[in-house]
Amino acid sequence: MSTELERTVPVTEEAELERLVGDRALSTDDHKNAPAFVVRPDAVQDVLFDLRDEAGFDHLSCVTAQQYEDRYETIYHLKKYDDPTQEVSVVVPTSTDEPVSQTAEPVYRSADWGEREAFDLVGIDYEGHPDPRRILLPETWQGHPLDLSYDQDKPQLVTLAEHANPLQEDHRDAETDTMFLNIGPHHPATHGVLHVKTVLDGETVADVEPDIGYLHRCEEQMCEQGTYRHQIMPYPDRWDYTANMPNEWAYARAAEDLADLEVPDYAQVLRTMGCELSRMAGHFLALGTFALDVFGDFTAIFQYAFRDRELAQDILEDLTGQRMMYNYFRLGGVAWDVPEPREEFFEKTRDFLDGLPTKVEEYDDLLTGNEVFQIRCVDTGILEPEIAKQYGCTGPVARGSGIDYDLRRDDPYGYYPELEWDVVTEDGKDNYSRVLVRMQEVEQSAKIVEQCIDLLEEWPEDDREIQSNVPRTLKPDPGTETYKAVENAKGELGIYIRADGTDTPGRFKIRSPCFHNLSTLAEMSQGEYVPDLVASLGSLDVILGEVDR
Amino acid sequence: MTGPVPLQSDGETYLLPERIADLTGLGEFGIAGESIAALLGAALVGTLMLTMTAVAGPWAKRKITAAFTDRIAVNRIGPFGLFIIVADAVRLISKELIVPENADRPAYDLAPIVVAGSAMLGFAVIPMGSGIQLADPEVGVVYLFAVSGIASIGLVMAGYASANKYSLMGGLRAVAQNVAYEIPLVVTGMSVVIFAGTLQLSEIVAVQAEPLIELGGVALPSWYAFVNPFAFGLFIAANLAEVGRNPFDTPEAPTEIVAGYQTEYSSVYFVLIYLGEFLHIFLGGAIIATLFLGGPAGPGPAALGIVWYIVKIWAVFLLTQWFRSALPRVRIDQLIEIGWKGMLVLSFANLVLTAILVGAIA
Amino acid sequence: MIGLLKSMATTMKHALDGNTFTVEYPETTPDVSPRFRGVHKFSQERCIWCRQCENVCPNDTIQIVTDDQRNGEQYNLHIGQCIYCRLCEEVCPVDAIILTQNFEFTGDTKDDLVYNKEQLKAVPWYKDIDPLESREPDRGSWIGEGEGAVDYQ
Repeated sequence: MSTELERTVPVTEEAELERLVGDRALSTDDHKNAPAFVVRPDAVQDVLFDLRDEAGFDHLSCVTAQQYEDRYETIYHLKKYDDPTQEVSVVVPTSTDEPVSQTAEPVYRSADWGEREAFDLVGIDYEGHPDPRRILLPETWQGHPLDLSYDQDKPQLVTLAEHANPLQEDHRDAETDTMFLNIGPHHPATHGVLHVKTVLDGETVADVEPDIGYLHRCEEQMCEQGTYRHQIMPYPDRWDYTANMPNEWAYARAAEDLADLEVPDYAQVLRTMGCELSRMAGHFLALGTFALDVFGDFTAIFQYAFRDRELAQDILEDLTGQRMMYNYFRLGGVAWDVPEPREEFFEKTRDFLDGLPTKVEEYDDLLTGNEVFQIRCVDTGILEPEIAKQYGCTGPVARGSGIDYDLRRDDPYGYYPELEWDVVTEDGKDNYSRVLVRMQEVEQSAKIVEQCIDLLEEWPEDDREIQSNVPRTLKPDPGTETYKAVENAKGELGIYIRADGTDTPGRFKIRSPCFHNLSTLAEMSQGEYVPDLVASLGSLDVILGEVDR
Repeated sequence: MTGPVPLQSDGETYLLPERIADLTGLGEFGIAGESIAALLGAALVGTLMLTMTAVAGPWAKRKITAAFTDRIAVNRIGPFGLFIIVADAVRLISKELIVPENADRPAYDLAPIVVAGSAMLGFAVIPMGSGIQLADPEVGVVYLFAVSGIASIGLVMAGYASANKYSLMGGLRAVAQNVAYEIPLVVTGMSVVIFAGTLQLSEIVAVQAEPLIELGGVALPSWYAFVNPFAFGLFIAANLAEVGRNPFDTPEAPTEIVAGYQTEYSSVYFVLIYLGEFLHIFLGGAIIATLFLGGPAGPGPAALGIVWYIVKIWAVFLLTQWFRSALPRVRIDQLIEIGWKGMLVLSFANLVLTAILVGAIA
Repeated sequence: MIGLLKSMATTMKHALDGNTFTVEYPETTPDVSPRFRGVHKFSQERCIWCRQCENVCPNDTIQIVTDDQRNGEQYNLHIGQCIYCRLCEEVCPVDAIILTQNFEFTGDTKDDLVYNKEQLKAVPWYKDIDPLESREPDRGSWIGEGEGAVDYQ
């Protein structure tokens, strides 16, 4: 792995940033991960434009909104695609009486959905936002759930009559030749409960609007009610429920940064191995379901992919005791060492890895080498890298558009820096490249797992520490804030935590990669055919559990 | 060697209704008796085909798909799970029949019958061997293609009458697809007619019985699959599109338009449409067998004809399932493009070449 | 065309080799890992009614009722609500609540899945695996010598 990072952007020391923001900054704040500038609500675009164009912060990673006793606050977490370790946060406080703030949407397209979510859950209005609607909750919802004055106990029934009538636009319109079509929420191709409002011109897609929120489970709020030490960790598994373990790392990384916890090297190796196995399982599923979308039936490739996922799950079951909802990580370590007898576990894992090349060959024969598959996927669902960056795309979706961005390498954590592996990118920008990226990432993950096995096998017996010394109750200092991200199977999964002095987080914000990847669907599929829309949706590999949280 | 269908002394084919009439003595009752005999014959053939469909739909398809995907599939009820057929029939028929509020009633109800019925009509002229053939008109091939084309009317009726956008899209796709592939199908079929010099199916079968070449004492019959493999390949591809199977199953396209024209059908209507689909696969198989694989011809006595005929159409069925397991679905625009720009051109080229070849030999 | 043929060859190879990766479930039961987390089993003899499991449970699955002398009266566990995180087993100082390997249980209604302590005691071992013998619950993270206050009391 290359540790040399290309720095094409000017060196942006904190002092330089301060000069750039100048007196538009009311004050500075120190988030644990990055410097933060507090900015007036009407100077948001101004500052963000400068940070993007002058300092090169081209990645709006996350928009966090929260309410304090005396003010609302929006935080824009900025990063660079070239070097995500360079971060800066822009904090925009607004008054409690009139929470209005300038929108960041003209600067970063990804702020569109981000600010809609902030409005929906916290209740900040964004001036100039092109589409100021709720995004996760129904249109008729009363109040904003993460608002301090929100009555949690008041039941809200959204009756069918109050919903927007999906048949409303069904009538014939003499002016247009288009047809409005609801794809989902119950449709074979949406892999969950996603509703895509589609306008068709014949078979051609004229307009697409994903409607999300059907699987909203208040994950952020649940985490705000759990104790740092134990009660939060079971839940990350339920965000991206196909490749679960890397999600745990996102919380672990943020919380360990917040409370300054050390993790023993041995535990880091175990974490790395578990996450890569889980990533393989997730990619197998992504491959299988994508094939399902393109082949059109539960055919061979889907079953073969599931068979291989099963093998990875078996190994993870031996390690963690569960097939999907592992709850394997603990703050400062992991829950279990490798099961006894160790040799048997290593052998089982090695068998799986040894069998992989033949299986990958089989996938090549069945999928990527198949001419019909190629004519279906090549040059469909084009996602230009500039657009991908604007929307905050990460993971295989970004890498399929040629964006060389992988937090495992670029913002190293765990044991990744010590291991030999490559970041896979493809320049095709189409559905086919995204499939290729996933297939090659499976091989890279196998490489990582293999090295981890070797390391674990040789690890001296008296140094197998799986858990560092962590107090039973964690109470980070009030006001400590951090935003940390890891690379899960779908992309950059970030967690923002603000401690409020108790043993539960004051604000817990999840930056979901699928959320941002899904927002590009319209860009990808407009002007293409319905089958391409379905294929593009499959190639984005969105997991609705993570989109809606 | 005479044709697989025993001939009467005057050279006319001895058809199944006549045979029944003679056997039962119904022939003595004039027209009425012959009609009853014809109905009995039709019932016999219909039962045979429906039985095969019943085996194929709930059982064989599952078993075959399972084999391709390394699974076990139905094996609980009866030997090899065969009684699942009964269980499935009961299950499907006892379901509630839900008719959409805005459905266009007579068309909505008729569509399943048209889909299933049109396929049944086709079997009337197929020589199935062992003396089973209901009718043998001189224009058999034309009749065959005509009735199998009726199904697309049923599909568009189903799609339009369901008052569902997905159904409508499925119906439109079905029509576009059938129009695009019917022509290459018929044109390729015509090349066989040029070879055989007749439109009568029993004659086409009889002509194919002549040996093509001798290879070490084994005579290779002049089945048109051997005479013109290119036309055979074309015909199989066009037939796949005609019956709407992978990689050409765009009218249904489960992941795109839910279930296409059959989205709104449930219970008995669904059974009829499902039945119709399988019957169409078998009819496609029967056409392929008759035009290209020597009909019911095969080793052994002529009485075994029906066995060979069943083996051949099941082979075609297996082939469709094999394609289904391995090939992605093409997009609708690609499908039409392949149809009009590829298949049509190739099929006409094949026709012209065949005509020149046959003319030169003559 | 070669790609198509290769695809077809691949699936045909699978069809002909006769291997299946599914099993006939009730007859052939899957092997579960000794660490597998299934239905809970409760031991009243061991339980000291310390309520640590009730406190640590992330979603209030466990409900303990004691009298005013802190003698245990009820131990209810909503198996349908449980997320199988195993924190109750980890926190238990006397191994009174453990997660067996048993994953086969049904209920007609949600209420059927609320197990009281008698039902929890009667949960059978799966394939006679006693989790306590086959695995050693990780207490490391609970018995740390950190400076944090010992709560859960």
